[in-house]
Amino acid sequence: MREMTCELGQLTRCDGDACLIQGETCVATAVYGPTEVRMNKEILDKATVEVVYKSKVGLPGCAEKMFERIIRNTCETTILTTAHPRSGINIIIQEMQNSGSYLACCINSACLALLDAGVSLKFLVAAVTCLINKEGDIILDPNSKQEKDGKALLTFVFNNKDFNIVTVNTKGSYSSRQFKDCTSLCKTSSKQVFEFYKNLWKSC
Amino acid sequence: MTIFNFRTARPVEYYRKYLEQDVRPDGRDLGEFRRTVLNIGCVTTADGSALVKLGNTTVMCGIKAELCKPKTETPKCGFIVPNVELSPLCSPYFRSGPPGEQAQVMSQFMLEVVNHSKCVDLESLCITQGKLVWVLYCDLLCLDYDGNVTDACVLALLAALKNVCLPTISINEETENPETDLTKRVPLPISSQPVSSTYAIFDDNILFVDPTAEEENLATGIITIVTTDDKLCLVHKPGGSPLRPEQLTNCFDRSFDRSKEISRLIDETIHSIDR
Amino acid sequence: MPTDTRRIGGPEESFSPLAYTLTDSIKTLMVSSNGIRNDGRKCEDLRKMFIKTGVISQARGSAYIEQGETKIICSVYGPREVVRKEEFSMKGQLTCEFKYATFSCSYRRQHQQDSEEKDFSVQLLEALEPAVCLHKFPKAQVNIFVEVLQNDGSALAASITCASMALADAGIEVYDLVIGCSMKIHEDKVLTDPTINEEYDSQNSKQLNHGSLTIGFMPSLNQISAITSKGEIQIDFLKRAMTDCVEACQKIYPAMQQSLHSSIKDKLNASER
Repeated sequence: MREMTCELGQLTRCDGDACLIQGETCVATAVYGPTEVRMNKEILDKATVEVVYKSKVGLPGCAEKMFERIIRNTCETTILTTAHPRSGINIIIQEMQNSGSYLACCINSACLALLDAGVSLKFLVAAVTCLINKEGDIILDPNSKQEKDGKALLTFVFNNKDFNIVTVNTKGSYSSRQFKDCTSLCKTSSKQVFEFYKNLWKSC
Repeated sequence: MTIFNFRTARPVEYYRKYLEQDVRPDGRDLGEFRRTVLNIGCVTTADGSALVKLGNTTVMCGIKAELCKPKTETPKCGFIVPNVELSPLCSPYFRSGPPGEQAQVMSQFMLEVVNHSKCVDLESLCITQGKLVWVLYCDLLCLDYDGNVTDACVLALLAALKNVCLPTISINEETENPETDLTKRVPLPISSQPVSSTYAIFDDNILFVDPTAEEENLATGIITIVTTDDKLCLVHKPGGSPLRPEQLTNCFDRSFDRSKEISRLIDETIHSIDR
Repeated sequence: MPTDTRRIGGPEESFSPLAYTLTDSIKTLMVSSNGIRNDGRKCEDLRKMFIKTGVISQARGSAYIEQGETKIICSVYGPREVVRKEEFSMKGQLTCEFKYATFSCSYRRQHQQDSEEKDFSVQLLEALEPAVCLHKFPKAQVNIFVEVLQNDGSALAASITCASMALADAGIEVYDLVIGCSMKIHEDKVLTDPTINEEYDSQNSKQLNHGSLTIGFMPSLNQISAITSKGEIQIDFLKRAMTDCVEACQKIYPAMQQSLHSSIKDKLNASER
């Protein structure tokens, strides 16, 4: 996997933030919450999680909406939403540089920002992307150049409780055998990510 | 408390009671889809159309073919533009106006299915390289929203694409304008069959296929798997209850079975129209 | 054109292949000398009709109608809460939304409602409102959504019939059903239930009479709830067309009654089980 670095507490106005750099890919995330929530979005027994994704250029379209939804549902799973009924937790994700394994980087940075904000979580999550290239080899944490020539791109999100799969998102075609191989490879690498989280907090 | 009140007041307990016996309130097994009805070519104003009923869920797909200029980067490629419309007609939860988040996500999902399954070779939509290509506007209209619209949409789109017959276009050499011959129509070649199957996770560990709207609301997670023939094409599990890899593998097996069922259904329907 | 970011975008411009068809189609007469139309009907004949209620499980009431090749589906929701803070009214409110599916006409339609659709929404509302007991659901609203799946003429008339059936299916109290019927006046002929070709053929004709008439008719009250006409029509012909319309409506009425009757039977059977 490419080297990961992260800076916390760069922004002053939000409750928690993280700027995660994974190889060349860089994402900044801010978390606000638990705060007030609009009346029509209020849920009686749990918090409303909202994700706003901002890309570098252009208006947000359907692709961004899908991206937002994947991240939001993942965060909703990790957050102990029942601890904050009738309140909102807002996550804003800003694209800085997309050079491959982008979704994974966004989810990891959102998880770190939530930790930084002190939002109570059920478990931590780590996202890992892998790529199946034309020769059928599996490349872990691909960069954008490799992604372009790849046959399939698979992103997995694991939790640190029992290392089960929280989120999967895949593109391209592959066999179920290859899917299994990718799962086990990403699962092993997710431990590296959790290790990184741990070291980051130790150094804070 | 009568059974109907129990269902309304304590829906989760109601479902649990059934699922303990490995059956759902509508009498289905956990791995059983609702009755799937397919009607191909039902709208003659469209260049290709299909109506899918999955239990109560109804989706209609109509394809309109138009002519346009290709992108300069891809001078040989045509366009496929799928859009899902969840109109206020199909459920009390949708309001009129521009598409909401769910419709947008579903449209994007359909686009990814088309792109990754490569069911239509975009180069087959080329008329003259760099000048004129086909654009297929595939509009998916939900008429009745009773859960699992994704699977119904994927099937409707595939069936409608199989129904597409494009008129022949020739280029007039003098005026360089295209000329349409509506009498000579050519069917669109379809190179693979994407088939989707959706699973709901209940109480973090029970998986069942083809959820109704009620089941979708109670679910703690949703997984959609799209297969193309013997390959996986899209595995989409946006959050929700964490699953063990074996549970996913079981879903794959069911999805491949479904893929066979669907291709049989499409063949039978097309055959019955030809007769 | 502003790009719609909430939908999947295609190329910036595209043209219908129909724009480039070779114009060798010979103008055929709409009605032959012995009074037979292109589809083999006589002037006063209606097309084959199919009506079914209760087609949408999520709606309070719904109906589907096929009139020849014209296919329309309609759903009714409510009485439910008024969402937008509109003027307070002790009377119930009725709203109508009429939409052509993008693929329902020979040319592709846009996703947003255009002016014709908005106009039809209002006409539909005006045709139905006199028949609905609005005072029975004060401070609430009933929403009617009509979607034309395939348009082969008389779309407004068919949607009036369809919407009124859906209202009945929803159990909304009404004074009467409303039956829609339209006529095409062409030269000295009055054509019942015109197809799309008959509706549009003589747009630039020099004839004295070229127009169409649509009415909403309440059969048991024997009243007309809405009437709309367009084009140039002599008064005598308009009168004749109107009587023909009413006559045609009376032919449709038994079909509607029968359909409602059987749907109620089905519902009773289902609840017994």
